[in-house]
Amino acid sequence: MPELLEMRGIVRCFGALRANDGIDLDVRAGQIVGLLGENGSGKSTLMKVLFGMLSCDSGKIIFRGRELSGHRPRDAIAAGIAMIHQHFMLVDAMTVLENVMLGWPAAGRVLRRAEMADRIRQASRRFGLDLDPSARVGDLPLGRKQRVEILKAILREADLLILDEPTSNLAPTEVAELLKILRSLRAEGKGIIFISHKLPEVLELCDDVVVLRDGRVTGHTPAAGASRARLAEMMVGRDITAPHAPLPRTPGQVRLALRNVIASGLPSLSFEVRGGEILGVAGVDGNGQIELAEMLTGLRRAESGTILLDGVDVTRAPVAARVRAGMAYMPADRSSTALVRNMSVAENLMLRDSDRSPYVRGALLARQPLIAKARELMMEYDIRAPGPGALVARLSGGNQQKIVVARELDRAPAVLVAHQAAWGLDPGATRFVLDRVIALRDAGAAVLYISSELEEVLAISDWIAVMTDGRFAGLVSRAEVDRGQIGLWMSGRAA
Amino acid sequence: MSEPTSSLPIAVPEQARRVGFRLQRGDRLFVRILLAVALSMLCAGALIAISGHDPIAAFVALVTGAVGSPHQIGAALNRTTPYLLAGGGVAMCFRAGIINIGAEGQIAIGGMGTAAVALAWPSELAGVAAVAALLGGAAAGAVWAGVATAIHLGRRVHEVLATLLLNFVALLLVQQVLAGPLGEFGAGFLQSPLLPPEAWLPRIPHFNAHVGFLIATVAAAALSFTLWRMRFGFALRVAGNSRPAATYAGFALPLLTWRVMLLAGALAGLAGGIEVLGLHRRLIEGFSLGFGFKAVTVALLGALEPLAIVPAALFVGLLEAGSLSMQRQIGVPSALVVVIEGLTMLFVLAATVRRL
Repeated sequence: MPELLEMRGIVRCFGALRANDGIDLDVRAGQIVGLLGENGSGKSTLMKVLFGMLSCDSGKIIFRGRELSGHRPRDAIAAGIAMIHQHFMLVDAMTVLENVMLGWPAAGRVLRRAEMADRIRQASRRFGLDLDPSARVGDLPLGRKQRVEILKAILREADLLILDEPTSNLAPTEVAELLKILRSLRAEGKGIIFISHKLPEVLELCDDVVVLRDGRVTGHTPAAGASRARLAEMMVGRDITAPHAPLPRTPGQVRLALRNVIASGLPSLSFEVRGGEILGVAGVDGNGQIELAEMLTGLRRAESGTILLDGVDVTRAPVAARVRAGMAYMPADRSSTALVRNMSVAENLMLRDSDRSPYVRGALLARQPLIAKARELMMEYDIRAPGPGALVARLSGGNQQKIVVARELDRAPAVLVAHQAAWGLDPGATRFVLDRVIALRDAGAAVLYISSELEEVLAISDWIAVMTDGRFAGLVSRAEVDRGQIGLWMSGRAA
Repeated sequence: MSEPTSSLPIAVPEQARRVGFRLQRGDRLFVRILLAVALSMLCAGALIAISGHDPIAAFVALVTGAVGSPHQIGAALNRTTPYLLAGGGVAMCFRAGIINIGAEGQIAIGGMGTAAVALAWPSELAGVAAVAALLGGAAAGAVWAGVATAIHLGRRVHEVLATLLLNFVALLLVQQVLAGPLGEFGAGFLQSPLLPPEAWLPRIPHFNAHVGFLIATVAAAALSFTLWRMRFGFALRVAGNSRPAATYAGFALPLLTWRVMLLAGALAGLAGGIEVLGLHRRLIEGFSLGFGFKAVTVALLGALEPLAIVPAALFVGLLEAGSLSMQRQIGVPSALVVVIEGLTMLFVLAATVRRL
């Protein structure tokens, strides 16, 4: 079979970060290539470069024997590349037919509806898409919407389809159907790039598997005969230093306990965290981490079950009551949840404590004490800002996060829920945040440290849980950590 | 972009001793607003010139018409009062991220409430008739805002729709009431009987202005204090900047919405009541036509800063008060003032639009 796509030595940098560091990727006609990798491994960057959404700093892309360079998505589509995004680019209020014709010159200036509907029905039959041209897209389930995207690609005669984590939002039966459709496309000679971090699917569907880590290809192997454990190792990396030995400490009382808690996105969770312990929650983003953090801290309702904080039932307690009971929270969304960017450092430092001293006197803001307290916290937590009145939006990411750390830890909480607490921070600020969290643990608090950065979780936690599909796929103490096992847990339900 | 400065009331960052408020988006915002006003006046001047009149003479007539005599100043202040009161309430809602454009209806209902209380007030308590009638108006306005809030929160109807549509209901309701229980029999107009004189607002000697403007100015100062110095105002500003952050901070958003909507409704109702007791001394159909929408203009012109809304409301009030004498003396139609208001709005929005 001739090569359909050759990508050679693709390099793409974002500042000092080499998101793609010399990547080669080949796809033949009638071949499905699985692209594996953790978040941030460079998969999306590579695909954006291919599709013309990003330019590459060096490297060569040859598609059907013609070099693509300096191209835009429009050119990529014209050349025969189709990208099916995780979030569909469909108009819900329009029908399948209308969505297919939308933005497609071949649909004609005067729309030829009947002819198009015919072509849709034909393609639908041939590939088993089961789509009715007159159905309203908004009424379709997710799996069908995805098929509309695939249909668009087929009708536009794309030779190469890129599917970005196509199964992440699908039900198991829908996944099976999707795989069937993709196989029939392969049989027609289409090339497919299948991006996923779910090993079982990749092994089942793909011909070739390419594994990325830190912007480099760490593995390239035929799917047949490849072992899951080896792929998981390639994804997660084994050449990283082992976690520090845990300090011998007697665990304290149980400070946070969940019993059969059910919430949207969380089928059922039970676990405990003791004082003086950090429970690290690893896992690929979007597996229920946000739901877990928000449900614990009161931003999301738990449908049933019990949440105990120092033995007190807080399952139904509103946010403010939980804060008062000793629940601290560092949300992943720093820019619009954890902080108000257009307000001052001092106001952000009092954001969750504006109902108590020293910030208020009755219904009035206590201005001088408030500013004095802000100065004190800025000093203690090394928040570099022109003054307490400086706008938060003007500060660096590290200093912004220090505000959150200062506010949440100054209350001397019983329990801290930290979600992506070091995300996007430079090494110094990361160190600072981790040190403060560890200091809080040593002071006897229970910490739930949720992060998709496995290294961070391994470095800081006493216990490590891996979250998949809203459940803990596994829970091990730091002494028993086996990276291969963790990689497997992260990549799917299979153990 | 203007240099954003603190939203915190800190006058001197290093010392933090002085008392005073800081504007959220910096003083340069006001420079931009003044520029926008100047531009709209220039455009208006050009329009006047095109229509064959002398723009300078027209503006002189406009200004003298507005402030040429104590009497005219008084009329201008009366004109300003409802815009200032209702605009302050609208600004508080906007600060909280709630787009309340129901002032129009709340003013009308407030006027109706005031008239009803004044007419029904027992004569042995005549000493507090005006106060009671104004409170009745504020309460009525708050109830009307409460209806919109209940629809918005209870049925998840967008607040713009809920508040906007209830305006029409309110105007028709006032009409209906004037055709029935509150109407004056045989008047030929839809209006109530003259209200008892003890309920009339006192007037400031020489100026012919009623005390409404003083009430409105005090209210604006109180709103500014609330916004910058009280916990409630803090919660409003957090909610307006970011709803997720407000939830995270533990502020109950529905309660916050109720409180600020009732506050705005009460202020608009008070505006309607003052109009009825101070100016017309009876409830007249359409007495407040357009006031509520102009309150939105005024709130934005004042950059949602309650104290800055005072000059913003004065600007609109003076323009309108002077427009008639401009028409009389120069022959430029008074409707031109509406054009100026529209242009000002357009320029101000262009100059202050938030780039996210």
